[in-house]
Amino acid sequence: MAEENVRIEESLKVKIGEAKNLPSNSLSGTGKSTFCVIRLDHEEIYRTSTVEKSLNPFYGEEFTGEIPKKFRYLSVQLYEASQNKSKVIGKTTLRRQELYKYHGKEHWFPLVPVDANNEVQGKVHLEIKFDEYLNGESENYTSQGLSVRVLECSDLPVTNGGCNPYAMVTLTYSKSRNKADIRRTTVKKKTTCPQFNECFQFVLGSKGQNSDRQTYYIEDEFNIDLGVSIWHDDSRMSREVFGKIFPGSFLGEVKMPLKDLTSGTVHNAWYCLRRRESWKPHQYDLGSLRLKISYTSDHVFPPEYYDELRELLLQSPDIEPITSSAAYILSEVVDHRQDAAQPLMKIFLHHNRLVPFIRSLAKYEIDRTADPHTLFRGNTLVTKLIDELMKLTGLPYLQETIKATIDQICIEHKSCEIDPTRLKEGEILEENMDSLKSYVQSIFQGIISSSLLCPTNMCEVFYALKDIAHHYFKDSSEVRYQAVSGFVFLRFFAPAILGPKLFDLRNDTQDSIVNRTLTLISKAIQGLGNLVSSKTLSYGLKEDYMVPLFQYLSQPSHIEAVRMYLDIISSAARARTQNVSGEAPIILKEGTLIKRAQGRKRILKVKNFKRRHFCLTNQKLSYSKNRGDNPLYEIPIEDILAVETLQEESFKMKYMFQVIQPERALYIQANNCVEEKEWLAILTKVCNRNKNRLKTFHPACLCKKIESSCEGCTPVSGGLHATDIQVSIDSDREVEKIHSQFLANREKLEVMQDACADQEVYTGEDNYQHPYIEDTKTCFVTLNEVLKCVISLEQEHMQYRKNKQRNTVIGSIDAPFGDESVVSYQENSRRNSKNQEEKVIYRFVDCLQML
Amino acid sequence: MSKHELMSYKIVVVGDGGVGKSALTIQFFQKMFVEDYDPTIEDSYIQHTEIDGKMCILDVLDTAGQEEFSAMREQYMRKGDGFLLVYSVTDRQSYENVPSFHTQILRVKDRDDYPMILCANKVDLVSLRKVSEEAGRDMASHLRIPYLETSAKENINVDLSFHELVRVIRQQPPDYKKERRRLGKKKRKCTIL
Repeated sequence: MAEENVRIEESLKVKIGEAKNLPSNSLSGTGKSTFCVIRLDHEEIYRTSTVEKSLNPFYGEEFTGEIPKKFRYLSVQLYEASQNKSKVIGKTTLRRQELYKYHGKEHWFPLVPVDANNEVQGKVHLEIKFDEYLNGESENYTSQGLSVRVLECSDLPVTNGGCNPYAMVTLTYSKSRNKADIRRTTVKKKTTCPQFNECFQFVLGSKGQNSDRQTYYIEDEFNIDLGVSIWHDDSRMSREVFGKIFPGSFLGEVKMPLKDLTSGTVHNAWYCLRRRESWKPHQYDLGSLRLKISYTSDHVFPPEYYDELRELLLQSPDIEPITSSAAYILSEVVDHRQDAAQPLMKIFLHHNRLVPFIRSLAKYEIDRTADPHTLFRGNTLVTKLIDELMKLTGLPYLQETIKATIDQICIEHKSCEIDPTRLKEGEILEENMDSLKSYVQSIFQGIISSSLLCPTNMCEVFYALKDIAHHYFKDSSEVRYQAVSGFVFLRFFAPAILGPKLFDLRNDTQDSIVNRTLTLISKAIQGLGNLVSSKTLSYGLKEDYMVPLFQYLSQPSHIEAVRMYLDIISSAARARTQNVSGEAPIILKEGTLIKRAQGRKRILKVKNFKRRHFCLTNQKLSYSKNRGDNPLYEIPIEDILAVETLQEESFKMKYMFQVIQPERALYIQANNCVEEKEWLAILTKVCNRNKNRLKTFHPACLCKKIESSCEGCTPVSGGLHATDIQVSIDSDREVEKIHSQFLANREKLEVMQDACADQEVYTGEDNYQHPYIEDTKTCFVTLNEVLKCVISLEQEHMQYRKNKQRNTVIGSIDAPFGDESVVSYQENSRRNSKNQEEKVIYRFVDCLQML
Repeated sequence: MSKHELMSYKIVVVGDGGVGKSALTIQFFQKMFVEDYDPTIEDSYIQHTEIDGKMCILDVLDTAGQEEFSAMREQYMRKGDGFLLVYSVTDRQSYENVPSFHTQILRVKDRDDYPMILCANKVDLVSLRKVSEEAGRDMASHLRIPYLETSAKENINVDLSFHELVRVIRQQPPDYKKERRRLGKKKRKCTIL
């Protein structure tokens, strides 16, 4: 495969847990205030919040991102926070190649001091050649010269806000270490990739003679070391006034013994800059840092390479039993189910198969659930998929519903502690309870009034869950609510309130007072979400201090509001499914309004205004003479193209608005400004997802020919809703991820195959070491297909690696000398091609024979 | 003064959602079984008890089983002196998720072992049982922690699991870090004198 068809996608996740045994403040003996910085080479990509005075600070923050550049080192540096200039305490650095060793595992890393001589990045392009000439004094001896041309550097770091680099070429003679021949290039200002193109000539022979006045021996030249170091010129002063006393900041060096270079050829190559040779690791105990690093680098091929595996995965919803499907098997073999759930959810969502897949999994889970109360409460593939979906598509929705209150809580910073045993001195429980109640009320209102904003993708899943729960537990209406509230309240709102930073609601971490408030609110909101499904109120048995709050919250009006919210977000209409007719409409708003006759028959007659009872449901807007009468006219929601206010001049009437339909507009007058606003808001929300929504409209009833094709003159308000964004999914990349997960867990797949065979023979053995297979035959077939896809795809990868290796020229700008990734990469591919390839293929042949 | 001070043990109950962590905790504290299910976010209970003739304060934290709350896990894992790892014998997945709790606790504590007890809950539901006692014991010996079969409903081994955990905590050698700090102070004093 041609190299240009392969995309390399790298992503990095670093969780900074905590530090321990940090050096204490020398004066007070207490801990320092610290924060951490994540760097790729020298570039800062993430910074945690500061943790106040602690020897064992807990950060608990996570960075996730796509890496657009090729980096050599990942480092996490620990800083002492101060108002003027933060001081670095220590760091931990990992080479890119060793990241895989720590992939996805928590680990304690020792902190080491930061030393400029050890922090290097970038590379230098050199041309080195030997010149041979007669030295003139004696005809018997030839002398050798060396010319070193410093061409350019690339990717140098920025130090103290600038980079003014120059190069220093040094020849060191091993006989007299202290004597060295030093040449310098000019300083290039403000550049990280300076073009020097300067050549330095060294006479090797004469130096040897001069130093000890003896005959020159050819061997001497082999004991000469050539060094090229790059420096950052901090200030003009240091260079021009003090001469060469202060060389500036060290940026890196390249050292090579001349004996490694063959004479007679020109050595033109790129070299990685390295840390100073004289640098020694320090032995201080600076404490350690707990990190969890996940780094993946995927080579994504063109789409056709993934078709086979993609098809196999997408078939999963139709496989019986679902445990024998490729997607389910993946979730069983990976270390953390979440790792599998994320790419699976994206692939199924992208190919419109997520809802069927969730249905199949949910059915399977219900079958196995003994007690409907604990339905969907564990951590299974279906809960993970829905969790990932809510994280992917639900963030704008959270912003819309609860961000304002969360911000208010963080800014006001009130104590809301209601546990008498934790109350601080001077705090009054009743006051705290009042502020807590008002926060809970505000968040609760935000949630229950947002039912029409809930993203369609989520509503589709909720509808499926409710439908299945209803099907299995016909006589229990609670289960239906519980199936939905168990996701939207328990797994979406409650965690988001608890950790606003993790859901992008805040970008700072909160102190203990705010955290406690958020915990209490989260408990209250989860309790409210659970009220609809519990028959008895169990809170009396839990923490005593929460009882008064729950008593206040469990008013019938609250329960009713939660029911309505859950009904709407799980309604067939919101899910845009076909069988809307079978579902009872949910009334969103009703009231008496005045409408203008639509004049369907008598076009030229004067149109009168009549008082009607209007009713808006999640399916249509209708009006009737009186409440409860048969509707005189109905507009399906899909036919509402826009809802806008009408200028007063049109009918010389206030509070008029128009409901624009394909053929005509319905003009309605509200009783007051508040009602007008309410009706406008809810109608706009309802019709927001209509595909044929107008872009422009007429703000006044100017022309009677509004029905004609003349376009509107004003853009409509509302616009496409921000909570229902289209997410872009790179299906190929997700399949590639799944491929590498299968590949990494190949042994487990093989164990499963063995288990299939074993279980056929021996029954009833329940063993911790052995996976349990539900249906051995179908599972075995799927396992074989998975292995077949994975092996053939891996062969493409191996071929690609071989080609790439063949085309790699060491010393070129992409693969400079001293770049560990090139070396290890070659070792890797060698190892791969020898052992694993053979093993995989033998195993595969075995499988085929077994079939 | 400090000798007469009551020892306080922070116990954390962890495990998958719906395995009965709250039921066990409520049974232990209130001597009642809750039929209804109300998922926990984070509840804490405190009680003075006598275990093996010694009075102590039990500070029990009942946690959320849903992984959506795993960001909080580390916080309480740092604070806990001992852990009850709970799974339900009627839910195989909850059994399979136990080792991840075990590993995470050891990572956070940076230790090779830590006071923990494996509780196989809901053993009263004999007909629905999916994970055998053998499989449970197998895992417990693998993780090198004690194993108990419990039922919050029938009050089987509920008190015992909490008490056993306290016994395991008491057997722990005193924290070597605190020890070191104390020694360091003494030494310094001597040189000054």
